[in-house]
Amino acid sequence: MRKFITFALAGTALALAGASSALAQTQLRIFTGGQQRPDVMRQILEGYMAKNPGVKVEVEVGGATSEQQQQYLNTVLASRDSSLDVVLIDVIRPAQWAAAQWAEPLDSYLGADKDATMARYLPAYREANIVDGKVIALPYFADAQFLYYRKDLFEKYGVQPPKTWAELKDASKKIQDGEKNPNLSLFQTAGAPIEGTVCTYLVPLWQLGGNLTDKNGKLSLSADIAKKPFELWGDLKAAGVLPTNIAEIVTDRMRQNYQAGQLVSTMNWGFVWNRVENDADSQVKGKTGVVPMPAYEAGKSATCIGGWQLAVTAFSKNKAEAVKLIRYLSSPEVSKQQAILASHLPVFPDVYTDADVLKANPWFKDALPVVQTARSRPVTPRYNEVSEIIRTNMNSFLAGTKTADAALADMQSKLGTIFK
Amino acid sequence: MSAATLDKAPPKAKPRLSPLERSERRLGFILLAPAFLLLAVVVLYPIIELLTTSVRFYHLAQPWMGTPFIGLEHYARALSDERFWESTLNTVLYIVITVPGAVIVGLGLALLANQPFSIKWPVRLGLLLPWALPLVFAGLIFRWFFEYNQGLVNNALGFFGIGPIPWLTNPTFAFAATCIAIVWKTSSFVALVLLAGLQTIPKSLYEAAEIDGAGKWQQFVEITLPMLRPAIVVALIFRTITAIQTFDIPYAMTNGGPGHSTETLAMYIHKTTIDFLDLGYGSALAVLMFIVSVIATTGYLRHTRRDPRKA
Amino acid sequence: MAMALPRFPNKRKMIWLAALIVAANGFLPVLWILLTSVKTETELMRLPITILPAAPTLQNYVRVFTDQPIHLFLWNSFAVAVLSTALCITVSALAAYALVRLRLPAPGLILSVLLAIAMFPLISLVVPLFQTMRSLELLNTWPALILPYAVLSMPVCTMVLVSFFQDIPNDLENAAMIDGCTRVGALWHVVIPLTAPGVFTAAILAFVNCWDEFLLALTLSSRVVKRTLPVGITLYQGEFAFPWPIISAALIVAIVPVSILIAVFQDRVVGGLTSGGMKG
Repeated sequence: MRKFITFALAGTALALAGASSALAQTQLRIFTGGQQRPDVMRQILEGYMAKNPGVKVEVEVGGATSEQQQQYLNTVLASRDSSLDVVLIDVIRPAQWAAAQWAEPLDSYLGADKDATMARYLPAYREANIVDGKVIALPYFADAQFLYYRKDLFEKYGVQPPKTWAELKDASKKIQDGEKNPNLSLFQTAGAPIEGTVCTYLVPLWQLGGNLTDKNGKLSLSADIAKKPFELWGDLKAAGVLPTNIAEIVTDRMRQNYQAGQLVSTMNWGFVWNRVENDADSQVKGKTGVVPMPAYEAGKSATCIGGWQLAVTAFSKNKAEAVKLIRYLSSPEVSKQQAILASHLPVFPDVYTDADVLKANPWFKDALPVVQTARSRPVTPRYNEVSEIIRTNMNSFLAGTKTADAALADMQSKLGTIFK
Repeated sequence: MSAATLDKAPPKAKPRLSPLERSERRLGFILLAPAFLLLAVVVLYPIIELLTTSVRFYHLAQPWMGTPFIGLEHYARALSDERFWESTLNTVLYIVITVPGAVIVGLGLALLANQPFSIKWPVRLGLLLPWALPLVFAGLIFRWFFEYNQGLVNNALGFFGIGPIPWLTNPTFAFAATCIAIVWKTSSFVALVLLAGLQTIPKSLYEAAEIDGAGKWQQFVEITLPMLRPAIVVALIFRTITAIQTFDIPYAMTNGGPGHSTETLAMYIHKTTIDFLDLGYGSALAVLMFIVSVIATTGYLRHTRRDPRKA
Repeated sequence: MAMALPRFPNKRKMIWLAALIVAANGFLPVLWILLTSVKTETELMRLPITILPAAPTLQNYVRVFTDQPIHLFLWNSFAVAVLSTALCITVSALAAYALVRLRLPAPGLILSVLLAIAMFPLISLVVPLFQTMRSLELLNTWPALILPYAVLSMPVCTMVLVSFFQDIPNDLENAAMIDGCTRVGALWHVVIPLTAPGVFTAAILAFVNCWDEFLLALTLSSRVVKRTLPVGITLYQGEFAFPWPIISAALIVAIVPVSILIAVFQDRVVGGLTSGGMKG
C-alpha cells in the first residue's frame, strides 16, 4: 500500500513539474453518474471548451446509483488514482470526501470570493458543501423529497392537501372509503433497507426539532423525540395508510405505483414529476400536485435534500483548471441551462423564478418552498455506516421484526460509537 | 474415497532418480509454473496485502489516524461483533440448506432429463438455462417473483386462496425466498453433472436386476445411487465452494434485509471494505472467511489429495 | 422415480410429463421475463397482474439498443470469456498433465495446494486485486478480468482434466515418444486429441463461469465501453428508477446467445462429463 502512495506522489510531482512547461492543451476528466444526464453535461461542456480552447474535457459515466458510483470511486480513490479530475458526488458525500482527503479544498482557489460565492446558493447546499469551515465541493443541481398527491382524488372528496400527518391520515381514509378499491395504496415512503429509508426516519425527527448530532458532533438523540418517527410510521401502518409491504418498498416502486394510478400520495424525489408528466403510459398526467411534506404541526415541515455536487479530486494533476471548470458548471447560467434541458432543480433561488425556466417547468414554483425547508442528512465521514444503522433499524421496525424500543436502542448504541 | 492414499506413490524404495526421471520432474515443474504464476498474481500477492492490512488500523475515511500496527485487535473485534456472527451463521445456513437442496432437486431433474426423449434439445436447454443465467439476473428475476403485490408467487398463491405472504419483509420468509432462488439457479449445474453420471451407468446392470426380480425402487437404491456416488460427491464439492461465497442472489433480492437476516459473510465483507472503507477490519473478516471456507472444504481437500497418477 | 416409469402402460405420457417438468423449471422464469419485456411499465404495475401482455410492444428492445452500447457489452463479455477460457484451459492442462504423468514429488499435495489457493474467495480480494491491476496498468482492459477469471475456473478445469488424463493409457504416449515426440509434443498430439470431449467440457464450464461473474467485473472494468453484460445491464437502471420492462428486454438479449450456445453444444456438455470425467 505504502508503495502505491509513494508511486502516486512521485507521479504527481513529476506531472506537476512537467505541467509548467507543458503545452497549452489541458486534458480534464470528469466523472458523472449515468442518471445525472451525461448528455446534457456534454452539451454544456461543448460550450465551455469552445470558450476555453486550451482545455479538453472528457466525460466518464459511472454506475447507475449513487451507491454503485461511490463503491467504484472508493476503490479508485483508495488507490490514489489520478485519472479523474472532477467528480460529481451525491449531497451526502462531501464530509466523507473531506475526511478521506479525496477532495481538494476550494478555499484557496476561491480566495476573497469565497463568502460571496457561497452566499448565492440555497442555504442547505451552502451547508452541505462546507465541511469544518472548508469548501469541499460546489453544487451542480438540487433535489428534495416532496409530497406528491393525486389532485383529482383530493378534489373529488373535497379534501385539502395535507399539512399535517393527522390530515394525511384522515384524507387517505376518506379517499379509501370513497374509492373502495382494494388495490389502491394510500401513502408510501421508502421502507426497504436503502438510502431513502434514512430520510423516512429523519424527516419526522427534524420536524419535531430533533437532530441526530449536536453542534460538537456528539450523538444527541433524546429518547422522547427519537422514538416519535417510529411511532408515526407504526401508527400509519396500523391504520392501513402505509401498505403492509412497506418494508420492501424502494424509491422507484412508489413512482411506478403512483404513475399506474395505484397510489394516492408518496414522499418522493424530484424525478417523479418529470416521469409522471412526460411518460407516454402515465395514468396520472395532469392529476398531480406537489406540496411540502406534512408535519406534526402545520408550517413546521422539513424534508431531505438530495442533489449533486462537483468536487476536484486531491489527486488531480490539473487542479487549477479543474476548479475553473467547476466554478463554471456551478454558475447560475449553467443551472438555468440544466433546468431547461434536463429539468434539474436549480441550486440558486433566483433561477426558480426565471421566466424561461418556469416555461419549461411550471411546477418549479411549487418546488421552491419545499427545497427551502430541506435539510442535510448528518455530515460525517462515516456517513455510510450511519446510513446503514438507521436504514436497517427503520426497515426492521417497518417489517415488524423489531419493536420501536429495540430498534431505537440498537440505533443509539451503534450510532454512539460513531458520534462520540 | 481413497483419502488416505495421498502421496504414497511413487514408492520410495528407489531414493535416487534416474536422469530421465529427473528431467521429467524438471519438466513437471516447468509445466506447473504458469498455473502458479497466475495464482501468484491474482491470489497470493493480494492475500499478502490482505494479511498485512488485517493487522493494521486502516480506515480510509479516517486517514489522519495513519495505518498503525494494532496486532490482532481486528480479530478480537470480529469475535465480539454480533453482525459477524450473524452473517457467519447465515452463510453456514445457506451452505447447509442450499447445498443438499440443490443436490436433491438436481438429482430429480437429472433423473427426469435422463428419460428417452425423441427430441432432446428443449429438455436439455430447460435443464441448462438456469446454469447459464448470471447469478445477479437470477436474483433480480426472483425479487420480482416474490414481490408482495405484483409478484407472480403471491398472485399464484392467491389463486388458491393462500396469502399474501410477506416474502421479502419477514426474516424467515426472506431467507426461504433467497434459498429457493439459489436452489433454482444452482440445481441446474448439479443436474448437469448428475445427468452425465447417470449416462455412465451401464444398462446391463438394470437388465440383470430386472431378471433378478428387483423392483424399481430397489434398483434405484442399489444401482443408481451407488453408481452415482462419485458424481454426487463432485457436485457437492463444487456447490459447497460456491455456497461459501454466496453473494449475488441475496444482494440482488434483499440486500441483506430485513435487518441483517439474509446477509452473508461475503456481503458483510463487501460492505465493510467497499462501503464503510474500513479496509483493516474488512481484511480481517476476509481472512476469517477464508478460515471458514477451509473448514467447510476440508473434505474436498482430502478428496483431491489422492495421487492423481492413480486413476 | 424415473426408473419406475416403464411399468406404466402410458409410458409416453409419463415421458412427456418428465420433459415438461424439466423444461418448465428452466423456461418459466425466462418466459416470464420474455412476457415482461413486451409489456409497458404501467401494465406491469396493474393490479391484478396480467399474464399475457395486453398490448405487446417492442419499444423496450429499441431502448435496449439505443440507451446503452449493448453490442459492446456483448462483445466484451464474449471476448473476455473466450480468452480467459483459453488461458484457463492452457494452464490447467499443463498442470494437470504434469501432475498425472510427470514424476513430481507429492503430486496430491501440489494439487490440493493449487486448488486451495484457486478457491480463495475472490470476493474478499476485490480491493487488493484492484490495486494489483492498477499497478500493472490493466484496469479497464480485458486482461484485468481475464486473469482472475482464469483462476476462478481453474479448480473445475483442473479436476475435469486430471480425471480425463488418468484415463489415457501411458502406452500411447510412450509409443509417440519412441516415434520422436517430446513430452509436450505427446501432450499436444496424443493426449489432448484423445481427451477432446473433456477439454471441451472444461472449456464450456469455464466459459459459463466467466459469463456469470459480476462483482469483479463491476470493480475492475467499470468504464462503459469496457463493461461486460452483467455489469452493463445494471446501467439500464436509474438512480431511483428500475425500469423492469427494459431490463427484461436486456436480459433476453443477454440470454439468447448463451441459450443458442447450449442448444448447439448440449450433447457435448453432458457427454464430455460422462466419458472420463467426474470420478470420485
